[in-house]
Amino acid sequence: MNPSPLAGPGTKVLGIETSCDETAAAVVVDAHHVVSSVVSSQVDLHARFGGVVPEIASRAHVELLAPVVAQAMIEAGVDGDVDAVAATVGPGLIGSLLVGVSAAKTLALVWGVPFVGVNHLEAHLYASFLEEPDLPLPVVVLLVSGGHTLLVLMEAHGRYRLLGGTIDDAAGEAFDKVARFLGLGYPGGPAIDRVATQGDPAAIAFPRAIPDEAYDFSFSGLKTAVINHVRKHPEVVTADVAASFQEAVVDVLVTKTLAAAQQHGASGICLAGGVAANSRLRERVLDTCVQHGLHPFLPSPSMCTDNAAMVAAAGWWRLQSDGPTPLDVGASPNLTLTFHP
Amino acid sequence: MLILGIDTATPQVSVAIGGHEGVLASTLSARGRQHAESLTPAIEFTCRMARVEFREIGVVAVDLGPGLFTGLRVGVSAAKAMALALGLPMIGVPSLDLLAFPVRFTPKRIVAVVDARRGELFYAFYRQVPGGIQRLSAHQVGTADDLASELLASGEDNLLVGDGALRYREAFEGLHKVEILDEALAYPSASSLVSLAHAQALREQFVKPWELTPVYLRKPDAEANWTTREQS
Ligand SMILES: [Zn+2]
Repeated sequence: MNPSPLAGPGTKVLGIETSCDETAAAVVVDAHHVVSSVVSSQVDLHARFGGVVPEIASRAHVELLAPVVAQAMIEAGVDGDVDAVAATVGPGLIGSLLVGVSAAKTLALVWGVPFVGVNHLEAHLYASFLEEPDLPLPVVVLLVSGGHTLLVLMEAHGRYRLLGGTIDDAAGEAFDKVARFLGLGYPGGPAIDRVATQGDPAAIAFPRAIPDEAYDFSFSGLKTAVINHVRKHPEVVTADVAASFQEAVVDVLVTKTLAAAQQHGASGICLAGGVAANSRLRERVLDTCVQHGLHPFLPSPSMCTDNAAMVAAAGWWRLQSDGPTPLDVGASPNLTLTFHP
Repeated sequence: MLILGIDTATPQVSVAIGGHEGVLASTLSARGRQHAESLTPAIEFTCRMARVEFREIGVVAVDLGPGLFTGLRVGVSAAKAMALALGLPMIGVPSLDLLAFPVRFTPKRIVAVVDARRGELFYAFYRQVPGGIQRLSAHQVGTADDLASELLASGEDNLLVGDGALRYREAFEGLHKVEILDEALAYPSASSLVSLAHAQALREQFVKPWELTPVYLRKPDAEANWTTREQS
């Protein structure tokens, strides 16, 4: 790595995140000291549609971003004296991404500081570092959200190996679909998490799908099994269905993540993404790590879901390794993590 | 008072800076769909050409639309960020006003027409008044046929300007007392924006960054469908 003088001790980064339905800004010093982190969720705007509506999300970002950035700066006590501006450039909804990218590049230009385009997936990986700056590598990261299910070996900063992913639905998507079927509302993850606490996770033995590739996941069969079971047994207690479904998802996630960590000699397991806020998944990862002598890195739920502190942290590392991003970049809605062979 | 104007509501990206001496520098690019890529370098270049430091800017003006939703948001988002970073007031001007302004020296009624895609147009009517233009109607959304019947019914001499008028040229060409302006004036420009915003700035008609909202003239599809579903 060729260290850039642009990021070093004391470097203060303003992060901006608008890739989906959260409008967020944060000020982070040294890639881990979160001075402020403001997240304005649009979840209420999308709830009646049962999912994120891109045009509604884009419009809301335009309204919310300036106040959110202003608040993040006020809370951090900075008035333009940041050292860099980082924003998510992808993956995500193109119209939403552009609102954040356009604002961030302008702020960087006017303040005369570097702009850094950040990969949203990489940002999620950095959530763990916000609370554990000296987290020993390599680690296995389970990144689970509404749009993504990835098992990643993080060997060094910016150096990743993809171990597995979903072959159909993302984990969060499965939660949303099952919650909608059970009439639990949107977003499905928190709804199932809540109801499941009242149910018996062993009530129904839903299938644990194990695809051919060792570290891949599949959730669509499980979703179908839930639907079939409820249709066959209409008298079943919803809380039991929710708890048993959640247990099946968590079981597969934890089993494969542990196997990956052991095979690759990882120091620990990191959770990332919105589904990492699930209380049962956290509990199981914690237990498993303790049992097997691994470090559990469980960012607080507010750092698991989309936020700008993780964007600022990832931006700090990218600035150090790659330097500033040119101001003529746009958004990359289909951006993927760069993996090393 | 120096005004920076940003216009990205059409396939063009346009930036200008000026004030009471008129426009000091402006840039324009028209490669379409590259708003976010072009805008930041365009702001930098325009200010450099005008030899203006960012802190010398007094007002940020932006084209509010109607126009291309994504382009519009790129410009509005950048304009708000700039106002926020420099602690500046803002002025938003509708795109249809910007189309009518440069062609105001005509006794005819001016009809500014933006292509709204999906077979529709955004349009409004204007007349020259001392020192500028006056909008005679609210912004409207309709098909070329809708507008053509309005033009016929008016009995007035009409001057059509904008990419919408050009795209649906056949619908208007044969009409009595209707003239269509060519490509050169088919898009709003940031230079017009700076001129119109300057007049507003003298009257201190400012808004705060968080008060400024784009003019879409159309609900998001999901919301429109939802309303239809609720009513049926
Ligand atoms: Zn995310």
